[in-house]
Amino acid sequence: MLLLQLLINGLQLGAIYALTAVGFSLIFGATKIFHVAHGAAFTIAAYLFWWTNAVLGLLWPFAAALAVVAAVVFGLFMERFIYRPIQRHEGAFFTVFIAAFGVQIIVQNLIGTVFGRGFASVTTPLSHSVELLPGLFVAPVAALALVVAVIGFTALSYYLSRSHMGMAMRALSENPDLIRVFGLDPGRVAQYAFAIGSAIVVPGAIFTAMTAGLNPAVGAHVMLISLAATIVGGIGSLRGAAYGGLLLGLAENLALWRLDPQWSEAVTFIVLFLFIIFRPAGFFGRPYAAK
Amino acid sequence: MRRLRFLALLAAMHCGAASAQDSIKIGADLPMSGPNAEYGELFGAAASLAVEHANADKMLSKKLIIQFEDSQATPQQGVVAMNKLVNVEKVPLVLSAFTGVSKAIAPVGDRAKVVSVNGGGIGPDLAELGEYFWNVIPLVNLEIRVMAPYLVQERGFKKIALVYVDDPAGEAIQKELKENVPKAGGQMVAELQVPRNAQQFTSVAAKVREAGPDLVFIASFGAQQAQIVKQLRDNGVTQQLAGYSAFSSPTVTQLPEAKGALFPTQSVDWQAAGISERVAKDWKAKSGKEPNAYVANYYNAVMVFVHLAQALEKSGQPITGENLLRQRKSNGSFDLVGGKMEFLPNGSVSMPIQINEIDGAAGKLVKGGTMAK
Repeated sequence: MLLLQLLINGLQLGAIYALTAVGFSLIFGATKIFHVAHGAAFTIAAYLFWWTNAVLGLLWPFAAALAVVAAVVFGLFMERFIYRPIQRHEGAFFTVFIAAFGVQIIVQNLIGTVFGRGFASVTTPLSHSVELLPGLFVAPVAALALVVAVIGFTALSYYLSRSHMGMAMRALSENPDLIRVFGLDPGRVAQYAFAIGSAIVVPGAIFTAMTAGLNPAVGAHVMLISLAATIVGGIGSLRGAAYGGLLLGLAENLALWRLDPQWSEAVTFIVLFLFIIFRPAGFFGRPYAAK
Repeated sequence: MRRLRFLALLAAMHCGAASAQDSIKIGADLPMSGPNAEYGELFGAAASLAVEHANADKMLSKKLIIQFEDSQATPQQGVVAMNKLVNVEKVPLVLSAFTGVSKAIAPVGDRAKVVSVNGGGIGPDLAELGEYFWNVIPLVNLEIRVMAPYLVQERGFKKIALVYVDDPAGEAIQKELKENVPKAGGQMVAELQVPRNAQQFTSVAAKVREAGPDLVFIASFGAQQAQIVKQLRDNGVTQQLAGYSAFSSPTVTQLPEAKGALFPTQSVDWQAAGISERVAKDWKAKSGKEPNAYVANYYNAVMVFVHLAQALEKSGQPITGENLLRQRKSNGSFDLVGGKMEFLPNGSVSMPIQINEIDGAAGKLVKGGTMAK
């Protein structure tokens, strides 16, 4: 029964990881910008949902909508005022990384100053487990996280493959000049990637506020997992990031079947190292050789 | 215009230098960011209240100020902050917190003969960090020696599961429980160590349920201990919860899922006339909350310095770490929040320990002050 319990816990956590990793992967895949501040979008959305829903008592759909708006505005702000000016001058990967990392720390401190540095969580019956079988406890939020992850991923895949802007986003990663030839503005396409990538982080942020709870530093952990899932799934592949997130969530929980809880996070990175060594292109990434 | 600006800058720098000379500065190496920043905020506010009182009462010849540096509750950052306080700010005393940070900064203080005063770290080995490291908080070995017999013998929780963080504080608590629970007639049925940065405990809850304990003891701190409590309760762990003095942080005491949890703290009678009553009244006025043991500790840590510096000023000696140590040894006891405080030869204190229950408000006293055996 313990194994089944760990499997269900792993699926719930994996769904949340997949939702955050897909956003990061979409932005990185389309723009090649290493958006470390993706974790900050998660933190902003999570805290705004908590504050408006748990503190101010706003109905959850409105609180969720506000969280989406805040995450999208943050993503667009990063693209327009941080990354674009850097890329206009030199665009070095390291400069972008440090700038994004700096923003992540600023957001962490601002959140701490505005909302407090303690623990915050949304109390809801959705996170309270019920005993389905003797020794098997499942919370409604587990099913909800899985359903939302599947719907979110399917909708995103459909949008990217069928809409003009979706195709433009995929093209942007290949050849920005080609985008111009077709009369599109690469900057505008990049903004769409940031807006959608930031918006898709919101369900994961809300589920985390309900299940694990929040602290201002929560974004750093999210970023680490998103990055690991993107590498495991194959850089640039949305499907890969989703599977990668799911795999890491499962690995983190199933590890407890035989190992101490102390090892749960280490297992995540063992999986990552195994992929880097034996399958560097990840699940669905394209293998490439150094020029 | 440019010359005027330069002169204004010089004047400002001169004023800064003058104000530095007109004040006595101590340091604080506390977490101001990261998942444990809530503690830094609480400890810093208590220390600042003591400074406010000392300055209002003109206890020293100059204004007392605190230079805060961010330890992030990590040993590495704590040492960076300590080096700045010791070598750049040249403070004679630094307020410290967290077992790991305190152990890392102690050698820096010892070498520079700068006193470190801990009011938040609880690892028993903090009593052995040299003459320049003092503790104004009873260490966790004293807490567990009171808590274990209470839980096992008085409350009948014979089977105990422990969830503890993999840092010096968590490991110290594990060691103490392993020793004291069987001694009291109980049994440790599970010892689950969790990484310091872990945030997911749903599967830890499954392991706890599998062990079938009467009580779950949580030995973590900061946001993590609240996450553990919430996730255990959300995931079918209905047994009694207990923790150590870190449970007195507002993050836990205000958590609905923590209601009914038991935890020990040092005994503080906030209604006692004099300094305790004054601190309780001013703390409530400033924060709108009831004071807890940490407020007493960091207030006391600053007041120990003030009393020692006062004595040094009276005898015409400079306020240095070396002189503070000498003065502490000859001072005997201090009249502080919670009553008289006397340092043991190793720089620690022994105080009565009380056991509290989280009731969603100020906390309920379930067992009065007992001295650890």
